[in-house]
Amino acid sequence: MTMLKIEVCVGSACYLLGSQDLIEMIEGLPEDVKANIDLRGSSCLKACGKGPNVKINGELISGVTPDKLMEIIKYNIQRK
Amino acid sequence: MPQVTEVVKLRRRVLTEIARLAFEAKLKQDVDSILYTVVTEEGPRYRCCVYKERAVLKERIKLALSQPSDLEINEAVENALRGKIADMPVINIMPVACDQCPIDKFIVTNACRNCLAHHCINSCPKQAIMVVQNRAYIDKNKCVECGMCKKSCPYGAIIEVNRPCESACDLGAIKAGKDRCAEIDYDKCVQCGSCKTACPFGAISDRSAIVQLIQAIKAGKKVYAVLAPAFIGQFGAKVKPSQVVEALKKMGFYAVAEVSLGADIVTLEETKEFTASVPRQRKYMTTSCCPAFVSMIGKHLPAETNSVSTTVSPMIAIGKVVKQREPDAVVVFVGPCTAKKAEAEQYEGIIDYVITFEELACMMVGAGLNMAKINEAVFETSASRDGNSFAKAGGVMQSVMDMVDTVAPGTDIRPQSCEGLQNCMTAIQQIISGKSDINFIEGMACEGGCVGGPGVLTNMKVTGKLVENFSKSAKAITAGENEFAAAEVQSGVHWHRE
Repeated sequence: MTMLKIEVCVGSACYLLGSQDLIEMIEGLPEDVKANIDLRGSSCLKACGKGPNVKINGELISGVTPDKLMEIIKYNIQRK
Repeated sequence: MPQVTEVVKLRRRVLTEIARLAFEAKLKQDVDSILYTVVTEEGPRYRCCVYKERAVLKERIKLALSQPSDLEINEAVENALRGKIADMPVINIMPVACDQCPIDKFIVTNACRNCLAHHCINSCPKQAIMVVQNRAYIDKNKCVECGMCKKSCPYGAIIEVNRPCESACDLGAIKAGKDRCAEIDYDKCVQCGSCKTACPFGAISDRSAIVQLIQAIKAGKKVYAVLAPAFIGQFGAKVKPSQVVEALKKMGFYAVAEVSLGADIVTLEETKEFTASVPRQRKYMTTSCCPAFVSMIGKHLPAETNSVSTTVSPMIAIGKVVKQREPDAVVVFVGPCTAKKAEAEQYEGIIDYVITFEELACMMVGAGLNMAKINEAVFETSASRDGNSFAKAGGVMQSVMDMVDTVAPGTDIRPQSCEGLQNCMTAIQQIISGKSDINFIEGMACEGGCVGGPGVLTNMKVTGKLVENFSKSAKAITAGENEFAAAEVQSGVHWHRE
């Protein structure tokens, strides 16, 4: 099974707009869901000002909230 | 629950844009652009219409410039660029942003039995209660929310629902005015910022001096950042303390000092003060490092003022150290606290500006700096383990106890650490009434201590752990082992309130 690769930007601009909340949300997921996620921190995803920015399997998504990220994770995990 | 709500994001976007324009010297001509970049026609929409959002935004900008709301925005910008901070409280309400919380403070529940006694109707001074459909009904147009109906109902059928700002204030300093808009009673307010954090409409905010500070940096003044010990982990768990220091220098700060060194000085002085005065001159002594706690005693328990330690706070102590070395330095306290902004005003000439971690991060982003990409360097704390622990509740108490054990073993010290103003108040009242035999109180207005302050960026559980790990890296364990602090104490500076 391929892992869902999630890169969360932890640069200053994204951190200010809540990237830590995204990381905490992922870390709080059940172990069986987390087992399918490859979580990484990035120092900049080059979309400053539109944050928090996240790359999911290489695709950049801006203005991500914990709810929005949860939906993306659910959609991707279900699809597998 | 996410910490960074849409309200928080909005505040941070405004501060970041103001900082960016100030760094680029475009604030004067482009301040209005903030109204269009932060609130766009497409949304997201938080209020009824774009016009209301921009009206709120104007008030937010003026507060971010430390200027009163009756000024035109251009005049407010000019004042801020000249370095002027208006004579106004730290915590302010933006009436246009206040939703006047149309919640009914007193609600009649199903428990109402339409009794014959009608205590509620008889006790209401405004004749606001009548019986409708076999149950008491409160006419909100007449109700003044005095609570007499709730008190008089023998069934407890009338309940009270408080506004978030009122619930958050332990000192009863914020109430709804006649128009239901929140009003602060500054005779009771200690500027702790808990109402700011609680308001879900972002209608309460602290004034900011980031523009005045940016102007001082750009003028080439020797601007010192004094970092409160809670700075560890504030900008992301992966951002190292040395990166924060380097980023400050890149932004234009002349030098950086640690407030935890001031904390060691405070520990040494407070220990001396305790052993000399308790119990001979006073029954008990409290700490003095939390300005909201000290202000609470002054405003709500004035008879107990003599019990507050006369030792200055770590912020003032490190400010005195810097000013003694460099009299022309501009000293900026960077911390988690809004009450420190008020404290700095009482010590004119020692601390020139106070900014929160949130404001610093907005300045960093405004200056185009990314702390996560700054090169790491070697950074060693100039304070002891105990001095760095001041950031957490219980840290001050432990530091003084460790020193008492060292310099005066056998001293009768019975300490208590209190978090939250209500808990602090209760602890002191219990001593006054004789129900408690505590003789040393550490008072912290915020839950968790400074790591839980209103100006933090990171969850206090995360930073609390990181502060603990960082403090263990200190070479000195207690303040007494810190030779820098000992040398400063011997330098002849006066470390007590006048």
